[in-house]
Amino acid sequence: MSAPIPEAIAQITRPREELLKYYILRAIATMFAFPITMLVLYFRYHTMRYRFDSEGIHMKWGIIMRHEIMLNYSRIQDIQLRSNFIERWLGLARIEIQTASGGSDSDMTLEGIPDHDAMREFLYSRMRGAHHPHEQATSSTDSLAGILTEVAQELKAIRVAMEQRNA
Amino acid sequence: MPEPGRISALERWVHEFLKVPPEPHIPEGSPGSTQVFRAGANYYRWRLFVWFMSHLWIAVLFLFLHFILTKALSHAPVLAMTLFRALEVIAVSVFLFMAFLTYYAQRLNYRLRWYIITDRSLRIRKGTIFLEELTMTFSNIQEIRVSAGPLQNLLKIADVEVHSAGGATERGGGHIGKFEGVSNANEIRDILLERLRQYRDSGLGDSSTPTHAPAEGAMEAGRTVLAEARALRQLVAAVRE
Repeated sequence: MSAPIPEAIAQITRPREELLKYYILRAIATMFAFPITMLVLYFRYHTMRYRFDSEGIHMKWGIIMRHEIMLNYSRIQDIQLRSNFIERWLGLARIEIQTASGGSDSDMTLEGIPDHDAMREFLYSRMRGAHHPHEQATSSTDSLAGILTEVAQELKAIRVAMEQRNA
Repeated sequence: MPEPGRISALERWVHEFLKVPPEPHIPEGSPGSTQVFRAGANYYRWRLFVWFMSHLWIAVLFLFLHFILTKALSHAPVLAMTLFRALEVIAVSVFLFMAFLTYYAQRLNYRLRWYIITDRSLRIRKGTIFLEELTMTFSNIQEIRVSAGPLQNLLKIADVEVHSAGGATERGGGHIGKFEGVSNANEIRDILLERLRQYRDSGLGDSSTPTHAPAEGAMEAGRTVLAEARALRQLVAAVRE
């Protein structure tokens, strides 16, 4: 099930630098709360780590409040690609991933991903049901039939060999 | 009435300024299975109606405040009255400016909407300033809802909602894909149901039919293996004798 993932995606560990710029703008928008928001977002940016392996996504951030989220590609329910115009000016977008847990807030939000469109398509390709339902079934039974046929050939070869020794 | 194909210079400028991608990305699916739906023409009228009503309320409130405050200030000094009038002029111009912006936003909101269905998934793109693109596979869909209010019924438009597992709220986070204001809700519903039928195991829960029925090739190969094994056993028995 767990096919190897593309090199470009496996290499992603850190968000893009533009994310820090966006965080600064976001902190400025909070006006008087700027020092606090900026501090939180600054550490969020600098501690944010991604890891994409063949099974799922690992994401962690935070120093005082440490967060670590792991989720499997196959558990993804839906993917939202969101952006406001400031994010688009900076070439950013958020990928919000929902699993079947409660609440409509996203379970994981990927921020500052270098090529967010490619990432979204990658996640989509790993989602349950992104491939045709019959594709896998036929290939697995085909290979099962193939294996059985091979077993039959092996057995036949043994029989033939024994027959020759007998003769 | 904004026509689907024609984009005015102003609209193009807005798209470029806000960096709105002109077309959504089509999700991967079997070739030829992609269908793109747009909001019905009456959806625009409906949005304009909602816009008009909400602004009408504000306008009425403004008039009400104007008369009340004018009466209250009738004995106030001239300076206070002038200040009040100046404030009123500012308030009204802000209101008119915002009204124009939101009026124009209705147009963009109507135009920049795509509901894409492939044989495996659906994608809903909407929004101008806040852009949203939702992707869901049919395997994950739990239910489909069609709803329309009395006015929407008159305008022959409806909303088709697809829900995936997990809580969702009215303000709309994840888990809900909404085909808003479509004029062919029944057609879309039928297509969605047809897709769901193809994915009998869609959503959470046990599937009612076994999905791993042995294929014909496997049965045949199994019989061959059995025959060979039997022949081998008989041969081994013969050798021992």
